[in-house]
Amino acid sequence: MSTPDSELDRHLQALFGGLDTRPDFDARLMTRLRAESQTEANERAMRAEQERARYRRAVLELQSWRRSMLRLLTLDTLGIGLLLVVAVVAAWPHVSGNVTDLSRQYGPYIAMLLGILIATVPLLGMWAEQTRRPIRLL
Amino acid sequence: MELVRAERRDEAIALLLPAFRRKVFGLAYSFLRDREAAEDVTQEVFIKVWRALPGFDGRASMSTWIYTIARNASLSALRGRRPQSSLSDPGVMEAAESIDPVPPADVIVDRAAILRLIDQLPAKQRQVIMLFYMEGQSHEEVATMLGMPVGTVKTLLHRARARLSAAAAK
Repeated sequence: MSTPDSELDRHLQALFGGLDTRPDFDARLMTRLRAESQTEANERAMRAEQERARYRRAVLELQSWRRSMLRLLTLDTLGIGLLLVVAVVAAWPHVSGNVTDLSRQYGPYIAMLLGILIATVPLLGMWAEQTRRPIRLL
Repeated sequence: MELVRAERRDEAIALLLPAFRRKVFGLAYSFLRDREAAEDVTQEVFIKVWRALPGFDGRASMSTWIYTIARNASLSALRGRRPQSSLSDPGVMEAAESIDPVPPADVIVDRAAILRLIDQLPAKQRQVIMLFYMEGQSHEEVATMLGMPVGTVKTLLHRARARLSAAAAK
């Protein structure tokens, strides 16, 4: 190809062989990289803060939903209990003598069990709320 | 790669910089023909490399990857600037004088004339001839930098040299 000592080679070598960046190039680049690094760290911190805020909001929403469910459950149980009492009172005159005798014998126990059931449901709900696993979001 | 995996990007860049700074600058300069713009692009390239290092998977070699970033950045810069750039900027002559500090007056004239001739070459030939003489006359290195086969580099170089010789002989 080219002869090393040719005039053209010599000129081209002289023209382009020494091309380089200015001496302060590395220092300028490192300064920019440090600034980039700082910006990146700030952005990361901001993203993490946003993520924490999103998590807190989601936990609060979930807790609020669970409390609503618990209230609903308590009201439901009370309603069911009330309906049972109404049903028993309404049906009482029509039941046979045997049932009346039985109810006289076991009535207090049945009433006590019903009371315990109505009282237990909200207590169970509260216990479940307190002993639940920590809320994990995506 | 170890430094990249360990997320020690600053140290990785400190190692890459001496190995690739001049090559990336030369590549950018061969596209842009403007020293200031080529330095700016070189800075951008290393910042892009620094940002993208965690995603570098090693499928391509590091040099191929860096040269691809450099070519794309140079082309973007080239699209965004005025077209009438010329190699005959003072930086090239200064660089030449740093190698050959006190050239005779006729040599200075010759070099300025050669720069004008190189300016008139087709873009690919101009790039090849610049990088070939910048990179210690290695066809392989120029081919990697420009992302073209070695045979193409040889052909382009041969044509560029023939044109320059013919023009210089006139």
